[in-house]
Amino acid sequence: MFNFPLANLLSEPVGVAHYVTVGAILFICGALCMATKRNALGVLMGIELVLNGANLNFVAFGSQYLRNDGHSLGLDGQLMALFVIVLAAAEAAVALAIALNFYNNHDSIDVDRADQLRG
Amino acid sequence: MQPVTLQNVVDSLVDNTLDMSLPFFRPELALCATIVILLFVRIFKGGEYIPSFFIAILGSITALILAFPAEGFESWATMPRQELFTGMLVYDTLTAFIRIFLLSFVVLFIILSRLTGIADAKDGQDYYALVLGATLGMCIMSSANHMMMLFMGVEMASVPSYVLAGIVKGRQRSSEAALKYVIYGAGTAGVMLYGISLLTGVLGSAHLPTMAASLADLDIPNLLTTAEGRLTVMVLVLGGLMLGVGLAFKLSAVPFHFWCPDVFEGASAEVDAFLSVASKAAALVLLLRVGAGLGLTTAELPVADSADPPRVIAVAANETTAPTQNAVLVKQVADSQDATHVGGGPLSPVRRFFVILVSLIAIVSCTFGNLAAYGQTNIKRMLAYSTIAHAGFMMMAVAAAIALAGRDVVDARTAVSALLLYITLYLFMNLSAFAIVAFLRNEMHSEDIADYAGLIRTSPLTAVMMTAVLVSLIGLPPLAGFWPKLRVLQALYMAGGPLMTFVLVAAALNTAIALVYYLRVAKTMCIDPEPDTRGAVSLGFLPAAFVFVVSVPVLIFGILPGPLANWTDLAVSQLFS
Repeated sequence: MFNFPLANLLSEPVGVAHYVTVGAILFICGALCMATKRNALGVLMGIELVLNGANLNFVAFGSQYLRNDGHSLGLDGQLMALFVIVLAAAEAAVALAIALNFYNNHDSIDVDRADQLRG
Repeated sequence: MQPVTLQNVVDSLVDNTLDMSLPFFRPELALCATIVILLFVRIFKGGEYIPSFFIAILGSITALILAFPAEGFESWATMPRQELFTGMLVYDTLTAFIRIFLLSFVVLFIILSRLTGIADAKDGQDYYALVLGATLGMCIMSSANHMMMLFMGVEMASVPSYVLAGIVKGRQRSSEAALKYVIYGAGTAGVMLYGISLLTGVLGSAHLPTMAASLADLDIPNLLTTAEGRLTVMVLVLGGLMLGVGLAFKLSAVPFHFWCPDVFEGASAEVDAFLSVASKAAALVLLLRVGAGLGLTTAELPVADSADPPRVIAVAANETTAPTQNAVLVKQVADSQDATHVGGGPLSPVRRFFVILVSLIAIVSCTFGNLAAYGQTNIKRMLAYSTIAHAGFMMMAVAAAIALAGRDVVDARTAVSALLLYITLYLFMNLSAFAIVAFLRNEMHSEDIADYAGLIRTSPLTAVMMTAVLVSLIGLPPLAGFWPKLRVLQALYMAGGPLMTFVLVAAALNTAIALVYYLRVAKTMCIDPEPDTRGAVSLGFLPAAFVFVVSVPVLIFGILPGPLANWTDLAVSQLFS
């Protein structure tokens, strides 16, 4: 009998697995968003979702309340999440500036219009 | 041992940071100070009259001087591996070498930017601040010992590069290049971060040696026999592959190379030189660090077997025990059934995974780059594909080094030495190639290979230097490019086994494929008739002098590679111990 690993999540008390599942869903939404959106801003939103999915994982793995078996990331997890938030903000600032520059030159923010460079 | 109280922890952290870590971090601090000065000097009265070029060049030369070892290069032969900032960064001979490499490149690059005029008086401070910031990120990348520093280094190197790709304002192609670069870059960085979160979550640490110890404790062959264990291994493989996505993007290795030709064509030639030399070098060293960090355990490092926070153990270990020399748990018994010949030990599955993945990607990148370069008409696009091919070739050296590290440390050092020699000579080759492209662009306003026809008649020095550089990029014997290729092939031969032999054959074949498209450019410059429409092309004294200074080492090290090879050998003499 095949035992689906997520089947008993609903009956268990909240633990790391629940957080990681939400993180995985965020990651998949972000990846889909990156792959399907034709608007550059939509792609950037997808990237933010991916980063936040990873961040949720870091915080869940680092929490001593969810997992107290000596394999917890501890403070490292939370610090990494903080640093990632800062880096994501920096990256978003740069990406938006570049998107604005692209808009000024092309009068469009559609990534399909970025087709002059090919070969 | 002292009791662990808050006071003790804070004291030991402060001592460790001020006495041990910061002195080794001086070049990076000099870079930080230069960036701050560059950005704030205009606030003060009269500050706008100080050219930002002088601040940038002074700062980078100061950083370079600080990066040189105080006791001379001979001290590298006995320099132990040290962990800085409680295990965040690692300081060993490889860090010291790559830092000197990156900072020397930046000094040359700043001079080039000044000579080509890309950093004008208005934008100069932003341009130099971005270049120095990216260099700081690359220094951190190449000394990362913790997953957070790995990610931060990659991001600190990437984010300024996105802006640099679009630094020329008002050009459609430039803005398109920057948009493509930032979207690919941010996407792969997100995937890499998710992979890191999976790896660190399963292994319970983000410190590379502690992660390796946890991996060894997991005992992967046993884990594969149970259903639950297989799931754990699957998560680890998934995390490893996602981490590989980010690294492959930085290396422009094949499934993630799409950005490279487009960005290189759209960005200016100077920025291309920066991306192809410094960024690739740092990414290769980072790849080596990840491979060696997760694939090899060392005895002196903290083992995550207690409930104490691992950070404190790392501090205590740094203070009390001097790093031992022969700490690698090398199992000399090579499994003869194993196709990759990665040696034994609890971490051999990790090494096998790494070696197979890296060598396959390397073969595909190398072959694809060389084949795609054929039909190119734009010189920057052709050099971009050539960069992909060379990155593939250098990745082969990394694969050989990790395969050898499990069996014979001395042979593995030879492979890393080949990699460092390749990186160093690649600096001269690619920097002079892109410098010539940039200077010719200023003169002819064209980057098409066809427009270089008959250049030898109007500008003989440029044409001769470009030809020498292109022949060196092929790897033909009288020029410098021959030696690193030979040494990489030698390392692959030493690694042995069916996989590495396959890589060896692919590498040798690729050298032959590469011959044609480089020589086509040389033929256009030297043999084809000159078009009537073009006026005289002369670079001017300073640009010609710069090209001469950067490309002459290609000739000198081709004939006398000894000193440079000795230096790279010295730089790896304490590695993997």
